[in-house]
Amino acid sequence: MYRTNRTRDYQFLDRTIAEMYTVGGLDLYCHKYLGPETGGTDSAFSGNADATLPIYETLSPLNIQDLLLLENRDRQYDPDVYVMRGVYNAQDIDFDLTQFGLFLNNDTLFITFHYNKMIDTFGRKLMNGDVLEIPNLKDFHPLKADLPTGLARYYVIQDAAYASEGFSVTWLPHLWRVKATPLTDSQEFNTITNKPMVSEQIWDNGNFYPTGSVVNYGNTYYQARANTPAGTDITNTNYWREYTPSTISDLQGTRTKDTAINEAILTQADIEVPLSGYDISKFYILPTENLQPANSTTLYAGSDNTVDGTQGGMDVTPQSLGYTEGYLTGTPTSFGYTVGYLTGSDEAPNGLPVTPGVTFPLNPSLGDYALRLDYQPNRLFRWDGVRWVKLEDAVRTNLNNGSANDILHSTFVNNTYTVPTTDMGNIPSRQSLSEMLKPRADNGDEGGNLPPKPFPLTQPGQKSS
Amino acid sequence: MQNFFYDEQIRRFLLQFTRMVSGFQVQYGRDGEQAALLRVPVRYGDATRNVQTILQENSASSLPSTPLMTFYISSLDYDRPRMQEPYHVNSVSIRQRTYDSATDTYETTQGNAFTIERLMPVPYRLGITLDIWTSNTNQKLQLLEQILTLFNPSLEIQSTDNYLDWTSLSVVELDSCTWTSRTIPQGTENPIDIASLKFGIPIWISSPVKVKKLGVVERVVASMYDANGDFHNAIENNDLLLGTRQQITPYNWAAVLINNKLQCLQQQSLAEEPGNESLTPTQIVSNSNLQWTAVIGVYGVLRPGISQIRLVQADESEVIGTIVLDPSDNRFLLFDVDPDTAPQNTLAPIDAIVNPLTWAPAPDDSNLEGVRYLLTEATGSYDNEYPAVAWIGENGRPLIAKANDIIEYSGNYWHVVFNAEGNTDIQYVTNITTSIQYQWVGTQWIKSYQGIYPGGTWSLVL
Repeated sequence: MYRTNRTRDYQFLDRTIAEMYTVGGLDLYCHKYLGPETGGTDSAFSGNADATLPIYETLSPLNIQDLLLLENRDRQYDPDVYVMRGVYNAQDIDFDLTQFGLFLNNDTLFITFHYNKMIDTFGRKLMNGDVLEIPNLKDFHPLKADLPTGLARYYVIQDAAYASEGFSVTWLPHLWRVKATPLTDSQEFNTITNKPMVSEQIWDNGNFYPTGSVVNYGNTYYQARANTPAGTDITNTNYWREYTPSTISDLQGTRTKDTAINEAILTQADIEVPLSGYDISKFYILPTENLQPANSTTLYAGSDNTVDGTQGGMDVTPQSLGYTEGYLTGTPTSFGYTVGYLTGSDEAPNGLPVTPGVTFPLNPSLGDYALRLDYQPNRLFRWDGVRWVKLEDAVRTNLNNGSANDILHSTFVNNTYTVPTTDMGNIPSRQSLSEMLKPRADNGDEGGNLPPKPFPLTQPGQKSS
Repeated sequence: MQNFFYDEQIRRFLLQFTRMVSGFQVQYGRDGEQAALLRVPVRYGDATRNVQTILQENSASSLPSTPLMTFYISSLDYDRPRMQEPYHVNSVSIRQRTYDSATDTYETTQGNAFTIERLMPVPYRLGITLDIWTSNTNQKLQLLEQILTLFNPSLEIQSTDNYLDWTSLSVVELDSCTWTSRTIPQGTENPIDIASLKFGIPIWISSPVKVKKLGVVERVVASMYDANGDFHNAIENNDLLLGTRQQITPYNWAAVLINNKLQCLQQQSLAEEPGNESLTPTQIVSNSNLQWTAVIGVYGVLRPGISQIRLVQADESEVIGTIVLDPSDNRFLLFDVDPDTAPQNTLAPIDAIVNPLTWAPAPDDSNLEGVRYLLTEATGSYDNEYPAVAWIGENGRPLIAKANDIIEYSGNYWHVVFNAEGNTDIQYVTNITTSIQYQWVGTQWIKSYQGIYPGGTWSLVL
């Protein structure tokens, strides 16, 4: 019965098959892939000086975002949802932890659609990247019972072709078969998973809304503070407040929980090792002078001085006690036996008082400690009656990856300082090795003037931040 | 059965490893005209089915999120090349600052002093695999570029910041990278891409340490036996021998004990000796105001009623007493002598110390039998025609005694029971009226263990 064109036989069969799908199939919600995101000025989107990352003015599924890696990462999906009838075979699935639960074994659906209906409804064939929502698999009883709605089951189409069972006696196809696997909460599908997970209720001035109701008005969500009588304006803050609903990704994805787990681990890691190196602050250093216990004269009650610093500590006037210059009294002159690898901090021995500042304190007393904040790292000094003697550098640092981390690598990566120029204002100090000093927006040309944040001053011989 | 021991040593490295690879971000969609950034969570990869089910809300509709980094222990092998003398025990002596549990802070004074003994830990090489889950190659490149610059060739890792934990510091070495878990080119599906980084961490697994009170030498015992042929106190005393207590003579200063009050003196400070005409002892050395709080604070904490001061006597025996701080004056310690350590009386106790020239018992006193007095002055003489009437016994028997003699009334008359003159043997006697013990040193009576103790003849035991 083959004909080169579509005869009435074909049309009869096609309508019959379409009716069978209408009667026997189920509604499937289709999220239509429109193409990679358009526009943008950032290099990640605009391909600034990168021919492999073209800028597109219009959405089109023909566009390719990354011509080098051949990826469409920032996909746009039609906000409208297309409903089409489809048929698939339900099957048993198993949680497969071989890839840490990220996959459901056997959870691959082969769904057939009536071809012509699909073209009429969808405007094109379903293709890889389109997302399907299977309404009959919606889970209304997840473990967390207070979710605002049931959890929809999303699949993404991996493969699409004519179904072998869809060829009629005319040798012409009537069905379109797609292979779909579960959706992942990933960058590609952010347009879908970033949608608010609330029932879409458009605000109506004539309705009564009980406390907690969420409505949408002008793309903004509002939540009722109290039982809101009909006729209450949405701007009435006694009854309405703006509301940021959780997204599908927040509630249905695992990232929120993964991040919370990560945070708990980081909290404990920070407790166990708050700073790099070793904490010697709990150890006691016996004050000494000339390798003997510190001068006994400072123990007089009348002088208000003790070697342990508990009675006015370092308020020593050595001249009045007959000391000559450079004579050591009172406070420890070093960290003694606790000195070691990465033990330097900004604390004085035995927890004695320290005067922090960018200059040395005036009129110091023998044994006083001063922390110079303009040294990088900060440097602790002790006044010995003649000079400020360096005790140690505060080299211990936070170990979390971030700006508080002062290890050498981090000072390059987490460098937020700026450098003033004569023609481009302040430019960031941190620049990519390949792009440094090129007149790009990122590097501080006419679009990149940054608020000044110069490097802190350091002392001679000190490394910069 | 062996005592349970578990110190979470490998677990702590896992915590810090998580920290090391946490905080990285990737570009994820757009925030206005700029790329939005998303922090990539990191967690342990080998979750149980139960926990994974909870993470996925017990629902097949749960959406696995990417990017994600997971890690797991892929190997743990004994590291023979790093093995060192397995029987080595390392000792470290440390002094802690005083800890104020009320404020949860360390004070500026010395607290406990310890000696830590650490047994040689066992070397292992811990293998950790980090899986980087990404949905596209660009994400993977972003993450790898940030992570890989950390390892050149390794990054330090610390499991604790304990100064005494010699196993805490290690390095994380990047051993190998597996670029992708997928077949290339892609097959019929588009699974999440996994790049795997394999790390090696040379770690040490350690037994518990022994914590002891400071065991450094504070005093050298030259002989196991003292001058009397007895075991030396330092040998006998387990507390001192085992280092659970400290014995100190601070700065070689002197101490003076007057009645039950101890005062600390610099060597040049002198106690004021009372005049012979007064039996009232000196209460204070007025030219010294050293405070015990400062002296003791240098070494540790005074434990009232437990801490001791030991006073070395001329015969090298020690008089030991517990001490508390005088609540009204920090210059004094209240010394409570242990009677068992005080010298044993060699003479029967006396009832009083009297000046026979100015005082005498009542003539009609019928309870004089056995009464003993120590005389501060001489009375009577064989040359006297009229002996002192007050001391005459029955039948006119006179009393002839010299200063420092002890007399006793027996047989209805007074007679000398301790003749001081020419007696060079050390004698001890207690005045039962004042409970003060006196010592005869050959020329005079002195309070037996009170007085000035120069540096080296007294010590603190905290």
